[in-house]
Amino acid sequence: MYRRVPLSFVVLGAIGAAFVALPVLGLALRAPWGRIVEMLSGPGARTALRLSLEVSLLATVCSVVFGVPLAWILARGTFRGRALLRALVILPLVLPPVVAGVGLLQALGRRGIVGSWLERFAGVQLTFTTAGAVVAATFVSIPLVVLSAEAGFRSLDPRFERAAAVLGAKPGYTLRRVILPMVAPQLVAGAVLAWARALGEFGATITFAGNLEGRTQTVPLAVFQTLQTDQEGAIALSLVLVVLSICVLVALRDRITGIQDRATGTG
Amino acid sequence: MPLDVDVEIRRGDRTIAVAFEVGDAETVALVGRNGAGKTTALESIAGIAAATGRVVLDGRLLTDLPPERRGIGVAFQDGMLFPKLSVLENVAFPLRAAGVGRDIARTRAREKLTELAPAVDPAARPTMLSGGERQRVALARALAAEPKVLLLDEPFAAVDAEAKPELRALLRGTLADFAGPRILVTHDPVEAMTLADRLVLLEDGRVTQTGTPEEVRRRPATRYAAEFVGTNLFQGELVPDEPGVGILRTGGAELTVVWPDALPTASILDVRATLSPAEIALHIEEPHGSPRNVFHGAVEEVATLGGRARIRLRTAPPLVAELTTGSVDRLGIAPGRDVWASCKAVEIRLMVPGEEPDTL
Repeated sequence: MYRRVPLSFVVLGAIGAAFVALPVLGLALRAPWGRIVEMLSGPGARTALRLSLEVSLLATVCSVVFGVPLAWILARGTFRGRALLRALVILPLVLPPVVAGVGLLQALGRRGIVGSWLERFAGVQLTFTTAGAVVAATFVSIPLVVLSAEAGFRSLDPRFERAAAVLGAKPGYTLRRVILPMVAPQLVAGAVLAWARALGEFGATITFAGNLEGRTQTVPLAVFQTLQTDQEGAIALSLVLVVLSICVLVALRDRITGIQDRATGTG
Repeated sequence: MPLDVDVEIRRGDRTIAVAFEVGDAETVALVGRNGAGKTTALESIAGIAAATGRVVLDGRLLTDLPPERRGIGVAFQDGMLFPKLSVLENVAFPLRAAGVGRDIARTRAREKLTELAPAVDPAARPTMLSGGERQRVALARALAAEPKVLLLDEPFAAVDAEAKPELRALLRGTLADFAGPRILVTHDPVEAMTLADRLVLLEDGRVTQTGTPEEVRRRPATRYAAEFVGTNLFQGELVPDEPGVGILRTGGAELTVVWPDALPTASILDVRATLSPAEIALHIEEPHGSPRNVFHGAVEEVATLGGRARIRLRTAPPLVAELTTGSVDRLGIAPGRDVWASCKAVEIRLMVPGEEPDTL
């Protein structure tokens, strides 16, 4: 096939690629490879890793449990203000995380509009607790589940639902046996993206839940704190996040880019 | 009647208003062109299209019930089998939805499959099946929960031509065994005429004729009805000619007919007449002799079915003739060829307003 790329594009494109690749290269080159296993298995690092895993997985579960029904309502509901609701649900994606944290404090903090009520009547306090970290991570990751699931629901032929209803299935049974299995790929994609987003959460967590070792200090927070005193330790922890991110990319490669590579594909 | 339908459905700026009845053990074919409202009418009976009016089954009003509580079995166009369930799970679906235990549901589903789709692997995914197999599974699924009404929506739409006769035979047997009202939606005359006891013709959202295939064949009410049953329909003014002979003026053309004994000799407006395609003879050269009706024009289309060919002619009036394929070959009939069509006056059957056709 005849293809030519202008030289200026080659130069600019190369700079763009280097710009993205260099930080990752920097981490890889400066990593204390000799001591990395020892450093990551130290008590501080292990606590942060375990907590990160816990918080991100719980946030993913919450995002799916609340996000999938929300996506269904957005995809199939016919009510006024649906567009507004969708915009509101997607807002956390574009909101600066620290702003999300401040907002969460006003809503669910000890003196927040719901938080004060929660503490008085249920004895539940979210700030400075692992539960608070889960709330912060859920807040930023739920839009990814909603977006992916809604796209999945919308791509379904509605005649399947009607067929199921005529065959005697109530809406819940139809959803469980027919609809959800058909959109499983989109649900998995949404959940994996949400998990990756929750794993990297920093701003909302530190603002809302604080930076308490063993309770709210997830890996990104630990990286930030370790960097003040121990650069190599911060690099080692960072590499864990890099490796996990690459795993997500590999797992979802077609879904994220959505582009067939012509050079290796049908051409 | 066990099933009494009188519904009105709004679709954008047009309404579909359909009323008809179906008896127990009776098959009604809902026929019409694409877009006439057949499927919409079917969906309103099943409860999945918003409709006003009523659907009454055995004296019980179904209109207020959600689709899952109407007890109606539907075999959808293209099957609409659930792609993530196996064939067996698809057939067991209505039973499971009705609360039947898994093992019993599977056993009964397996029985239905053995009966209606013995060649299909119950563990297969629907996407692996041919169009005919999908339709068989869809039929098994529609019947699995023993519905009181059976609706079939274009069952042959996605089926290969070779598989059609076998499926038609299966459908005929299945319909005959089903005790309740059954409705077949189709645009195919062969399906409708071979499977239905009665036809309900829909045109542009309205019922234009109801009757047995034979009744519609003898007295088609509209041009579409005539086309559907494969006959020629003319409409116009009947004027007396020489004694015992009349002229039917239709459009710019005239047909010579036998003047009916029962009618006084005076012009009659709005007379319709049918002419069976088999009664039309085709000639390559202008015929001489007895036929009174001779029309000249080009062949528009030749469609063969088995040993017979239907030839559409661009004559005035436009005609459809039916010949054996042998005659078509012998005469060298092909689209674009100029031919003469002739028929005897006695073959044109008149329908006069207010008169039974048998008395004419």
